[in-house]
Amino acid sequence: MSMFAPGANNPPRKYGLPATVAFCTCCGVSNQRPNSAVEFQHTADSEKKTINFDENGVCDACRTAARKAAEIDWDEREAKLVALCDRFRSRNGSYDCLVPGSGGKDSFYQSWVLKYKYGMNPLTVTWAPNIYTEWGRSNFDSWIHSGMDNYMMTASGRSKRLLTRLAVENIFHPFQPFIIGQKCFAPKMAIMFKIPLVFYGENEAEYGNPIEDNTDAQRSYDYFAASGDENMFLGGESVASLKENFGMTQADLSPYLPSDVAPLKELGAEVHYLGYYLKWHPQAAYYFAVENGGFKASPERTAGTYSKYNSIDDKIDDFHYYTTYIKFGIGRATYDASQEVRSGDLTRDEAVALIRRYDGEFPERWADEIFRYLSIDEKSFPKAHRMFEHPEMNRAYFEALSNKFRSPHLWQHDENGWSLRQRIDRL
Amino acid sequence: MVGRFVSALIVSDRGAQMKRSFRLIPRLDVKMEWLIKGVQMEGWRKVGDPAAYAAEYAVAGADELLFMDVVASLYERNSLHDILRNVASSVFIPMTVGGGIRTVEDVSDMLACGADKVAINTAATRNPDLITEVANRFGSQATVVSIEAVKHSGTWMAMTDNGRNHTGRDAVKWAKEAAEKGAGEIIITSVNQDGLGTGYDIELVKLITEQVRVPVVCGGGLGTTEHLRDLVMQTDASAASIAQALHWKKLQLDDLRSTLEDTGCFVRKLT
Repeated sequence: MSMFAPGANNPPRKYGLPATVAFCTCCGVSNQRPNSAVEFQHTADSEKKTINFDENGVCDACRTAARKAAEIDWDEREAKLVALCDRFRSRNGSYDCLVPGSGGKDSFYQSWVLKYKYGMNPLTVTWAPNIYTEWGRSNFDSWIHSGMDNYMMTASGRSKRLLTRLAVENIFHPFQPFIIGQKCFAPKMAIMFKIPLVFYGENEAEYGNPIEDNTDAQRSYDYFAASGDENMFLGGESVASLKENFGMTQADLSPYLPSDVAPLKELGAEVHYLGYYLKWHPQAAYYFAVENGGFKASPERTAGTYSKYNSIDDKIDDFHYYTTYIKFGIGRATYDASQEVRSGDLTRDEAVALIRRYDGEFPERWADEIFRYLSIDEKSFPKAHRMFEHPEMNRAYFEALSNKFRSPHLWQHDENGWSLRQRIDRL
Repeated sequence: MVGRFVSALIVSDRGAQMKRSFRLIPRLDVKMEWLIKGVQMEGWRKVGDPAAYAAEYAVAGADELLFMDVVASLYERNSLHDILRNVASSVFIPMTVGGGIRTVEDVSDMLACGADKVAINTAATRNPDLITEVANRFGSQATVVSIEAVKHSGTWMAMTDNGRNHTGRDAVKWAKEAAEKGAGEIIITSVNQDGLGTGYDIELVKLITEQVRVPVVCGGGLGTTEHLRDLVMQTDASAASIAQALHWKKLQLDDLRSTLEDTGCFVRKLT
């Protein structure tokens, strides 16, 4: 336990995180925030690239936001969007673009402007959440019934549960199978329906991926396409091991495996960020979704934060942000508040107050349900269940697992329990 | 089922007919130094300078003003003092102030800054005896309990922090208890309807006015004069709190005053 002692000298670091913790002087995000990565290579040993801070301690997300506000000619960008739409718009009513989304405020806004403002014929596609919240499902229905055609893919709960459990066990990342499935899904639908134009919402650079990533309208194929299954990992477990040791078949795994690059190229698929063309403001997307489709905020704040309007459809989301708090010291309130500071909706002081109050709160509200979901019982998983030391997930085991993933350079332990060594509200 | 004020005329003890009194109360949600407004108590937008809006509404015929420091509990701080002092010297209609009131001393401070009434939510749900203490010290006319109600599965949950945190209380039962503890007025705001401009939650207001004898101020949802008419004609509410329709200039207080007149309510002359 000595490496977790308060005042420990040069405590070890996990995940290749920066040794010295810093908080962006503009928005408050921590320099420990990892960039989006190609998840197929994500294993227990992976090292993270983290958000870049400039010499004034300003993060790339803030610099992206400043560019959005000052440097970009949005009229010119919109003209480019119209030209793009003109290039792909169908004349016979067939679908001409694909909009992956959940029915949250952002996909709502995206699909609506494409259909009703730019005259496209979008097909919306949805990779179903692990476990829908009641209001998430209701917002999804509102979205579709407000005027969108939709295909929803609900991957087998059995494989999803196993992969999610492995992702918790191996890389403490319960949301990873969802992210992978979701990213792979749209290109497959594009191939199937022969729709070459795919629109995503915001570029990840808005949240701190390298600023250069935001200068391009198109998303790299690397996130969702590959040329083979070798060296592919899901939930931090190799595809070979998933088949050999966990009883999963190629069919079980295929929803999580990327498309071949060849058919995408053949189709001439282009994956664009709408956020490149239109000035994205999450709060405005919320207003838009409420106004045009009866979108409803959740009837309570999300665990670990103050917000009620973003990422509210999957019960596992609470745990996703709890695990980022454990691994990187960054909870949901930090993500939410720093975004709102960058958008001009909060001041940094307000963000600090919200982070102090809510960051890292244990997500009690659906914990029992999530633990049942993550439990690998013998009946459903006759082979896989033998691979776990503790097939049943419960609070005690989850906490023990949490401690395994804490990086000593972030966490200390004393008679009062665990606490972060550096906190934004104690500087 | 319509309320007992369907004709909006009350027969007084002496048998003379009196017009129903119904108050229009602009609600000013304040965050730091800004007047703000959200939708479903989320996604707050800056509207402007709260003092300027307060003065404008007072001149335009508001009967009272309601100031809510929406982040006092959320950020655990208070920031209404300055705004209140500023407004008190130029606005002469009654003012209710809420947000972050935790103790009898907080109430005393707010009254000293020029508030006429103080609205309590979080602290009262944690310690209902606070209502009694405040009422005993300052009178029940100054003691208001504010309830944020979220409708879920056919009932209404009483929430705090702008519909964010649960109190474990049922909003209707809580209204009754708060009145019994000494609250002189209840403000009931529907979080589901807030900011939408699609009408008040009439059903909720009816349930609450059936339970309590003190005046009930209804908030959350006014978008048209029809919504005010519905509230007056169908419930026993004593006042309407109005925010976005006025802030975003969709309606004028004049429009609402005419509606009240049409429904037979007493409307004071503006000087």
